[in-house]
Amino acid sequence: MEITRKEFIKGAAGAAGAGLLMLASPARALAKDESTQAGLAMLVDVTRCVNCWWCYAACKEYNQLGETSQPDLNEPPPLSASVWTTLKPVKQGDAWVSRKQACNHCTQAACVEVCPSGALSYNGLGFVQYDQTKCTGCGYCAEFCPFGIPQMEQGTVNGVAIMNKCTFCQDRVAQGLPTACSAACTTGAILFGKRADLIATAENRVAELRPTVPQASVYGINELNGLHVMYVLDDTPETYGLPSDPQVPDAVTVRDVFRWVGTGLVAAALAGFGLNYLVSRIRMTRGEK
Amino acid sequence: MAEARTVARFRKRTIWFHWVHTAAFLVLLITGAILFFPGLGGAAAGGATRFIHRIAVVVFVVAPLAYAAFNPKVAWHFVKETFTWGSDDYRWVMRAPDYYFGGAEDKMLPQGHINTGQKAWQLIVVVTGVIFLVSGVLMWSNNLGTGVFQWAVIAHDVAFILALLMLLVHVYLGVLHPRMTESLRSMLDGKVSRKYAQSHYGLWYKETADKKK
Repeated sequence: MEITRKEFIKGAAGAAGAGLLMLASPARALAKDESTQAGLAMLVDVTRCVNCWWCYAACKEYNQLGETSQPDLNEPPPLSASVWTTLKPVKQGDAWVSRKQACNHCTQAACVEVCPSGALSYNGLGFVQYDQTKCTGCGYCAEFCPFGIPQMEQGTVNGVAIMNKCTFCQDRVAQGLPTACSAACTTGAILFGKRADLIATAENRVAELRPTVPQASVYGINELNGLHVMYVLDDTPETYGLPSDPQVPDAVTVRDVFRWVGTGLVAAALAGFGLNYLVSRIRMTRGEK
Repeated sequence: MAEARTVARFRKRTIWFHWVHTAAFLVLLITGAILFFPGLGGAAAGGATRFIHRIAVVVFVVAPLAYAAFNPKVAWHFVKETFTWGSDDYRWVMRAPDYYFGGAEDKMLPQGHINTGQKAWQLIVVVTGVIFLVSGVLMWSNNLGTGVFQWAVIAHDVAFILALLMLLVHVYLGVLHPRMTESLRSMLDGKVSRKYAQSHYGLWYKETADKKK
């Protein structure tokens, strides 16, 4: 079998980096793959939301997050360990306009980058999947997420705190079903589908709105290399509680650097001890003679 | 034949304190390392180690405070000693590489009850201890402002790297280094031989010998 130059370089790089790669989370490699920017997504259109809370109820029911009654728009329930999706209502004159708030499933997700146990990882279809059995309760995801989405069940004394957030209905999606919230939405305010198709839909919708709503825009096409929950907004992102320029915090990179530096220094120290032991033994034995 | 170990170096309570603190620190180190080193996080799944980490830190903090409360003079001496640095320490550092790589023993500066390297370890223990504690308390308490938790994580990580490296040096020198033949045993029964005391801690040995006269 002939090995092409490209394959050879790949192989050599792979062998050389094997030790390093072992340390990197497997999810990281996927994140850089552009295909994750494609995949599946949801499109939330605030102009079509009628504040019925069915998405909220469907999420609670499907994910078994307890019984609930229809919330009041004046007191929307905040995200919590048992509320994975909620509405962020905004008053426009006498009317309420709501943005559905839940995990945005970033292509470059701070939570995945900082998760020490692989409980959070990138699904091949683009969303941020979650394996609760692997959660350590460290809370890093909750503190590094630029949208403040992950919620911890916390015990102050024992510190055992398991994270909860929207999973993109990962088990439903794996079976080819749409997410529970999008399936429950009757007005087209939550669309589920291929990300590329939804971008086109969103842009058409914004073009349609622009003549009467000059502020209309799509949020999430490029943010954090592409969100897998995008929004059609009729006002600024801040109005709907979305940061205009979300970023993975610098502390993520700093932490990564220290992890590598620390690992390298420990390895160097161990090697140094071996060398020191040999050299000092030999010299001391000679000195005794 | 090895000389009998007759010079008293550590008191019993000091030895007890040393090992209790060691045990607490090792538990903290292991339950923390699995979150630090990439690929080990699975060991923390379920949050049990998170709980153990919080138990161990109580011992880690209470043990030195209790020791200091019952031995205030020793504690004060420890603090003064740890933060007093002079030109002799600089000279020690310059000669340390040759000494630790097996060079002639008599080229080393005579040392007091602890040498400059051990003093550096004390300093690292105190400094990282404070960083660990402050950043740890910040992470333990909920609802911090944006970014505080993130930098507390990093401060905890930096303290971890410093403490782990110095601990490795401490263990290597205390247990394995060919020159430190009586170090570990002195932290078990508190004694060293006359020869070891003289060659490793010349100033201290002279002091104790003078006192006996």
